[in-house]
Amino acid sequence: MVDRMQTLTEKDLNWIHDASMEVLSNTGVAFNEGEALGLFQNRGFSVDGKVVRFSEKQVQEALSTAPSRFRLFGRNPEKSLWVGEDDWVFAPTYGPPFMVNRDGVQRPGTMHDYDTFCKLVQTSPHIDMNGYKHVEPQNVPAETAYLDMMLSNIVFCDRPFMGSPDSRRAARDCLEMAGIAFGGKDALAQMPVTVSLINSLSPLQYSSEMVGAVLELARYRQPLLIANLIMGGTSGPVTLPELLVLMNAEILAGLVLAQLAGPGTPVIYGTTSCPTNMKTGAATVGTPETAIISSMAAQLARFYQLPSRTGGSLTDATLPDAQALAEGALTLITAVRSGGNFILHACGMIGGYIGNSFEKWLIDEELCGMVRKMMTPLDFSAETIDTGVIARTGIGGTYLMQPETLKHCRSAYFDYALFAKGGAASRSPADDIAKTASDRLRQRLESYQKPDIDPSIETDLNQYVRHRK
Amino acid sequence: MSIQEIYNAVLAFDEATVKAKTQAELDAGTDISSILNDGLISPMDEVGERFSAGDLFVPEMLVAAQAMKAGLKILKPHLAEGQGRSKGTVVIGTVKGDLHDIGKNLVSMMIEGAGFEVVDLGVDVDSETFVKTAAEKKADVIALSALLTTTMPAMETTVRALKEAGMTVKAIVGGAPVTHAFSEQIGADGYSADAPGAVKLIKELVA
Repeated sequence: MVDRMQTLTEKDLNWIHDASMEVLSNTGVAFNEGEALGLFQNRGFSVDGKVVRFSEKQVQEALSTAPSRFRLFGRNPEKSLWVGEDDWVFAPTYGPPFMVNRDGVQRPGTMHDYDTFCKLVQTSPHIDMNGYKHVEPQNVPAETAYLDMMLSNIVFCDRPFMGSPDSRRAARDCLEMAGIAFGGKDALAQMPVTVSLINSLSPLQYSSEMVGAVLELARYRQPLLIANLIMGGTSGPVTLPELLVLMNAEILAGLVLAQLAGPGTPVIYGTTSCPTNMKTGAATVGTPETAIISSMAAQLARFYQLPSRTGGSLTDATLPDAQALAEGALTLITAVRSGGNFILHACGMIGGYIGNSFEKWLIDEELCGMVRKMMTPLDFSAETIDTGVIARTGIGGTYLMQPETLKHCRSAYFDYALFAKGGAASRSPADDIAKTASDRLRQRLESYQKPDIDPSIETDLNQYVRHRK
Repeated sequence: MSIQEIYNAVLAFDEATVKAKTQAELDAGTDISSILNDGLISPMDEVGERFSAGDLFVPEMLVAAQAMKAGLKILKPHLAEGQGRSKGTVVIGTVKGDLHDIGKNLVSMMIEGAGFEVVDLGVDVDSETFVKTAAEKKADVIALSALLTTTMPAMETTVRALKEAGMTVKAIVGGAPVTHAFSEQIGADGYSADAPGAVKLIKELVA
């Protein structure tokens, strides 16, 4: 198979690794949290104030305990997933503060929006797991919003979900709530049920909130997605080879901490680094450079035998228009084809992470289904290649009424829920895909059924949330 | 030698030449006001226009400003009282609980490039520090930045603290989750969606 995107050679990979080690051993990484610094110090790391420096041996030891693949459990065991190596998942958009409508108008997110996204995930044929912070709900107190979001995650959807790593306290509460849902906190150490997103502060820092969350979650071996968003030319080097070195150094530093706190904690190697728009100073995500970084990050993760997170349907467009889908498709497909295992922001993201859009969510969801179909290998065997049908149909014949066609006509090809495939006559000129998605949303939500949950678990979760607020 | 060479060097983001030519004009006895206004301040107006038109990129604009400031530093000891004074003083910082500073740093650099004195308090700045610094520096504007919705309430706390201290300094807010509606809700004097907008807003507030 020829892929014209650059495949990093062993030499390239080692070059990046060695340069990252130079950064880690000379410049180091700052961890703004005392317990972590104490942990590093006790384990023989070089600690100078808040700055930790790493040796090759220390990094390799940490890498040796991080698994290449792990099972992520859902409340419904049939929806549990494998992540890593050849197994990959689509996860929805994470973190935006605003909802964006079809016309690009922004408004603050609400818990109703959040719950709606949980229901979309639950009813999705293509999105594999629930996320967290689909949108920041600004109609509930900010300091306890994570409790409401975690409750919705567990109650409205029975797929695996992402956890709340906003602070040490939020991580602790996430573990308590997961414990209630999954039969006790002690069970969690053997049973990854959440993936939590840990972001560095580029360049070369981790905040106290993120470090606290790492310590809490790693102790229960809950998978950590250690990622950065380096803005090339602003919070990282402007040229991509050097940006990759910084990216790699930061992620490895976070991975080492996770392994010290909880050896064997699954770590997903992640990035969503991108260029700076040099005309405005803002991050710009729907770019070929983002796609390149995404591909290379997936390759670097494989080099280290780690699962990776890259890509998503990423766009700078501020409404679900042609630009949004052009940029989104570019970054989504690249991440999947490059071997990414955890495709976060697979659906909905708009405006460079500023917003989530129901319309784009549904359109991206269809795209995810198409991409997964594209990646499904064909089976070449005696059973799947029968020249008999070709012989029977003969020269100039039709296959339409052959028994094989009848048998497979509903399953052979991708089944579209949204995209217009009926030709110009089948749709009104005023309809575009965003309008179709908008119209389809209500019907989709009407199909939602709340998944079964033990009433005592639901009661305990609600009580826990009330108690903690 | 000529003032035009200083002007051109600023536009070329050539700090070394700006310094050399400014010193040379000073040594030659050229009128200081002319060096200042025609050689250093005027090109920054063109830099601003070309940046707004998308012809100059952010790093170029910032380095041009840096080159201009290098020339200004040479002139400063020789300036008469009131000459070369900044357009105003802006105290800027990321609010309490928030460590993000990329946007704040860009705004800070652009405001400085536009001719203001900037006191950058860094990140995780509590309202008491904003109030105290604003008073000490006789600030014209306080600029508050936040990237997290969880730290936006600290903006309201700071705006309230400024009012309770009886200060007339203007308070403006910005950051990804911040909106115009939020700025009005907390009684701020302005909001900007981006760094160039912040510079424009500050110029209007100080005028």
